[in-house]
Amino acid sequence: MNKTSRNPMELVDRYLQAVRFWVPKTRKQEELVAELGEDLRSQVEDKETELGRPVNEEEVSEILKRCGNPMIVAGRLGPKGYVIGPTLYPIYLFVLKMVLLWILVPVFIFIVGPVNLATSGGNLGEAIGHTMGNLWSGLFIAGGVITLVFAVLERTHAQMGTECKWDPSSLPPLQKQERKTSLVQAVCELVFGWFGVVWLLLLPHYPFLILGPAAGFLKAAPMWHTFYLPIVLVATFGLLRAGMILARPQWTWLPSFSQLMQTALSLILLHFILNAATQTASGAWHPFVVLADSVQNSERLAHIAAIVNASILLSLAAAWLGLSIAAIVQTWEFMKQVRKMATGVAHPASLGAQ
Amino acid sequence: MTNGTKVAADILENLKLELRRGCLIVAVLAQLRTEQYGYTLRKALADDGLAIDEGTLYPLLRRLETQGLLVSQWREEDKRNKRFYRLSTAGEVILGQLLEEWESINKSLSKILHEASL
Repeated sequence: MNKTSRNPMELVDRYLQAVRFWVPKTRKQEELVAELGEDLRSQVEDKETELGRPVNEEEVSEILKRCGNPMIVAGRLGPKGYVIGPTLYPIYLFVLKMVLLWILVPVFIFIVGPVNLATSGGNLGEAIGHTMGNLWSGLFIAGGVITLVFAVLERTHAQMGTECKWDPSSLPPLQKQERKTSLVQAVCELVFGWFGVVWLLLLPHYPFLILGPAAGFLKAAPMWHTFYLPIVLVATFGLLRAGMILARPQWTWLPSFSQLMQTALSLILLHFILNAATQTASGAWHPFVVLADSVQNSERLAHIAAIVNASILLSLAAAWLGLSIAAIVQTWEFMKQVRKMATGVAHPASLGAQ
Repeated sequence: MTNGTKVAADILENLKLELRRGCLIVAVLAQLRTEQYGYTLRKALADDGLAIDEGTLYPLLRRLETQGLLVSQWREEDKRNKRFYRLSTAGEVILGQLLEEWESINKSLSKILHEASL
């Protein structure tokens, strides 16, 4: 098609029509598009004056190209706005994180997940899949509702022209940043702690989770009936500890103190387990695992059971040693912190020049 | 262009835009001490070294008019409807104050730059 055979100014009208398509149909925007049209026609006229002849379609195209894509130009001409403005955005982000990460995710992990596990008849894969599906839907819906509420607040807030009312004395006290446990560490402890507790709770029903293929011919010895509940309680304490660290990051004493408490509880428990294993009338020690009823007479399997028992005893002894060293280090760390806190109270930091 | 160079160029471009934004308002107000319509205003600014695109100028003019700093009027000229703008009385006062502020910033900046070069 010959480009010069058509009216080049028609291209300007087509351009304006495209811009008009993208801007809201208000009088103000209509007037802005009309002004843009007038500007473009003036540019075409100037070009004709410069060339001393009527412009062709290609030359008009150049002017329009320089002006920009109709959609982008419409974006500039359209009303400036945002869903959530800079004033509310930090609060929005805070609420979003609080609800999604610290409320919704724990609710799904601690309540919905176990309920799904129970209703799926112990099918772990199905329960995890179902819970993840529910979690995604919950995250999207909660995120959408929060965004909507803040978008409404943004509109009303903008119209109210609220004053900045706040009281400096209500600001939280200074935190000793260097003592804060990292967020990643606390979250990891919480997540892995939860998996640990769930794993412990599933063990009596699914011994293969700890014994693997040996679960076919080995079973837990009766001594575990005594110690199972205390082990679950210590693990739950660890879980609560991680949750508290996340919920109260300003309690700078909590991580080291609760860590020490957990180590002490684990040591006490381990001490009783080792004592129970070694206190027998014959001088031998109580086994940790015994042969299943169906294979009681197998000598080969009895030998394997003996090896497993020896391995468990060695592991527990090594754990006891490791925890004892950890307890000494953690006590030292905690004492250092107590001293530091006491010094901080007695001599508050001065802002004045020395 | 390497990634680092591109990032630096983007930062510079953004900073230049921020620097220009306030200056453009003063320039537009100053130019409209005499009545003009959009295209001639844009040309005048470009001729003086402050080019501004259509998508930026017209919303800016509308905003300044809404704030009461400009007055406008649609009028026919050369058989075409054009919107003519000029500074309002309130705009003249504000322009005066802005120019004072500009002078003050300019002095401060010159002083800082002079001190830095010593």
